[in-house]
Amino acid sequence: MSRPDRMFLLIMLTAALFIAASPARAIDPEINLGTTRVGAERLDMLVQPLEVVSGGTEAQEAAWLIDSVIRVDLDYSGFFKALSVDDMSDTTQVQYAVEGLLEGRLPGTGVTAEERAPLLTLKLVAYPGRQLLLSKRYRPTWDRLRATAHHFVNELHLFLNMEAGISLTKVVFARGTGERRDIYCVDYDGENLLRLTANRTLNLFPAWSPDNSHVAFMSYREGQQGIYLLDAGTGKVRLVNETVGSNLAPAWHPQAEELVVSLSKVGQHEIYRIDLVGTIVRRLTVSPAIEISPSWSPTGRDVVFTSDRTGTPQLYIMDADGSGRRRLTFEGRYNDAADWSPSGTQIIYACRENDITQIVLIEAHGENRRILTDATWRNCEDPSWAPDGRHIVFASDRTGVFKLFVMDVRDGTSRQLTFGDESDKTPDWSP
Amino acid sequence: MYRTLLMVSVMLAALLVIAGCGAKEEPPVVTDPTQVVTEPIDVKPTPEEPTQTVPDEPAPLDYASMEPQEYGIEDVFFAFDEYSLSDEAMSTLSAGARIMRSHDDLVYVIEGHCDERGTVEYNLALGEKRAVAVRDYLVSLGLPASQLRITSYGEERPFAFGSNESAWALNRRGHFSRP
Repeated sequence: MSRPDRMFLLIMLTAALFIAASPARAIDPEINLGTTRVGAERLDMLVQPLEVVSGGTEAQEAAWLIDSVIRVDLDYSGFFKALSVDDMSDTTQVQYAVEGLLEGRLPGTGVTAEERAPLLTLKLVAYPGRQLLLSKRYRPTWDRLRATAHHFVNELHLFLNMEAGISLTKVVFARGTGERRDIYCVDYDGENLLRLTANRTLNLFPAWSPDNSHVAFMSYREGQQGIYLLDAGTGKVRLVNETVGSNLAPAWHPQAEELVVSLSKVGQHEIYRIDLVGTIVRRLTVSPAIEISPSWSPTGRDVVFTSDRTGTPQLYIMDADGSGRRRLTFEGRYNDAADWSPSGTQIIYACRENDITQIVLIEAHGENRRILTDATWRNCEDPSWAPDGRHIVFASDRTGVFKLFVMDVRDGTSRQLTFGDESDKTPDWSP
Repeated sequence: MYRTLLMVSVMLAALLVIAGCGAKEEPPVVTDPTQVVTEPIDVKPTPEEPTQTVPDEPAPLDYASMEPQEYGIEDVFFAFDEYSLSDEAMSTLSAGARIMRSHDDLVYVIEGHCDERGTVEYNLALGEKRAVAVRDYLVSLGLPASQLRITSYGEERPFAFGSNESAWALNRRGHFSRP
């Protein structure tokens, strides 16, 4: 499809979003936060059952799995509402539909997983006219069906929204209690839980590199706190920095191969930019106070961080060279754990008030402070943005133990991401 | 018969405490849990003078393999969001310093701990401030800095479980361990 065609489509889509506003399209959120709900309109997307050409029951089960993953991805995105043919009445009009075809191999053919892989075609069509907009052919091995469905939904996002969705993203976090916590990774929909460390000590604050290839984290694996780098491909871990004293949560520079981190090597916590072998690029703060929890703006021009120089932990912003420090938060006696939104306009953080920690959203210039959680959430900590600038993940102990939850900050809907008895903390959503 | 049973069970319980708790010591008595919110915590580490618990009998004890608490080096406690030492904490540390001085071949790790309230990272920083406060006071008493190391576990390794002030008070501590 040519570029002008695509632009026309986008204009039509935008128009459809406004025209299509009707109460029947309301989503069914798990948790409705009432006052915080804004802009909950979604675009209907009909998901047709996959046509299974061959391959018997195995192929039919694969088709059902792909179908369900596509539906969850569409609903999760916040942009779409997945509809079935059963949801359609005579008056329902949809603009788009997902269709597909699965050709399973005949039993007995093929030896390797690749040879036994089915052939999958997934399409996006536009109504009226069932115009073909997007067609993708895959040959996924049976263990790659979920990943393939995620891939198609991401392509669909790229086509209709001109930007990637979040269906291929992952969340890293620290799980465990007491003597040990390990770094884990999970798909953005809670599937494919994977443990990345096993060193029988405390590991915390995992952070994805901008290219998703590495995870930086803090660990006591050599007895004292150090910053380590885990290669997400090979699982190999190497030391980045282990100076005397605190080596706290690392945060990646959005462009350079560089971390920003709080170290207490000079006796108190100061914020430093370090490279990936621990060499100090620049010291950013000089203060006897606790200065921690830095996060880069997406341009790499500013750093938001926590300082208790006034007596209570508050958020500040400074330039990349440590100059131009200005205070961001004036409400709440305990603010920490800031994360800058991918668009650069918003910052989320944890605020402790009335003995409960909540997630707060604020504009980067300090206005429009909005508390996203309420007392039913109990304590909420460590928020992290998804790359769509719409979803956040954070830890909440609302079920009795800290588990991870995802919230759509635009419409207030939420879902639980991790389960189990162990405490899950300090999540970081992949770029 | 009853007395024998009682003694056996007391010994068993003691063994369980020693084996099960490891580095964790018995919770000190908090006389009035409500007052510690604003006041430094009123803690009596042990009824007897710590120095007297160091046995100097002929059979030498292997202090290097013992937990510091086993020979009288007691933990100190902090108020919420505070890292300054109370008078109580200072006198506990003075007693501890005397014992450490008589074991100048041993290195001690001062662990800073926090209660569960607040964020993970701020608590790690606060725990380190507490460990630094303990170390600096011990150094001011003449203990060589080379004998002391510091680390912080923040809220990650609580001594007492529970979301109430009596548990929190026990978890805001400077704890002595061996490397």
